[in-house]
Amino acid sequence: MLDDDEPSPSPSEMRPYLTAYGGGLDRPESGGEPVSRLRPYLLTSGRAEPVDETLEIEAQVMTTDAGTLAALRLPFEHRDIVRLCVVSMSVAEVAARLRLHIGVARVLVADLADLGYLYVERPSLPNSQNPNLIERVIRGLEAIR
Amino acid sequence: MDSKLSAKRPANGKRPPVPVKIVIAGGFGVGKTTTVSAISEIRPLTTEAAITSVAAEIDRTGQVPAKVSTTVALDFGCITIDDDLKLYLFGTPGQDRFGFMWRDLSHGALGAMVIVDARRIDDCYPAVDYFERMELPFVVAVNLFDGEMVHDLKDLRWALAINDDTPLITFDARERLSVRDALIELLKHALQRATA
Repeated sequence: MLDDDEPSPSPSEMRPYLTAYGGGLDRPESGGEPVSRLRPYLLTSGRAEPVDETLEIEAQVMTTDAGTLAALRLPFEHRDIVRLCVVSMSVAEVAARLRLHIGVARVLVADLADLGYLYVERPSLPNSQNPNLIERVIRGLEAIR
Repeated sequence: MDSKLSAKRPANGKRPPVPVKIVIAGGFGVGKTTTVSAISEIRPLTTEAAITSVAAEIDRTGQVPAKVSTTVALDFGCITIDDDLKLYLFGTPGQDRFGFMWRDLSHGALGAMVIVDARRIDDCYPAVDYFERMELPFVVAVNLFDGEMVHDLKDLRWALAINDDTPLITFDARERLSVRDALIELLKHALQRATA
């Protein structure tokens, strides 16, 4: 990831690009420019690091009730993510399914989680050395026929 | 790990599975994507990742390596282990200048599988070096493209200069059960390290 860290704003602050769309000012459903033409980080106001810069790409993401309710008020990518994650999936899957650059997906997911619209289940790191967990994965693989 | 990201409950009250991951590494064209495809329950997905790395060319005037940002494709698949556990397989592009991405991917991984094409084993050195340095459990898995070994494993182990306790195995990236067994081999090695 990029090195030029910017200090993270306090979690309670609304992200600038979200306020720009705040108050339910929805963009027209059709006729807009395809988002893929934008430079990827335009979506994140140029930030390359998520609010929580440690967010793992395998972290599981799931929409909260608040996220479902807010969906209509959210701008494009945010709305797509909240709608997609009614089924839990990883940050990497969010990126792949919405054709977002993975760095962009990390930023957007972290912002939405910060707003309480997404629930994020993160890998618990000591787990990777946990014998019981490793045995569980071995048993799971052995069940594959 | 408690963080502000985990504060809210999901909509249906059911927590998503805990994710675990294995890194699939190796040089270009050794069969990383084939390996992931063979065993993933979803069609492997590709996403783009940016990496900042030190350029191969050094700025000779200043003798300072230039930083460059590159976009690389990252392939991945997943396997549901049980209701509460999901295994991800991330295939990484295989050159040492992608080290930054490896760091991200290796962090918290159960282990790594380094795939080798026995006809050009040099390609896997950066991965082997990296995982040894990171002390991440790994296996070296020779992909048997034609079902035949060019060298015997003892010679290969010597050529690779890997530790005696690092498993060196053969497998067929196109065969689901062969990939499964290679992953099990890796996890048994990781288990041994975790309980040692």
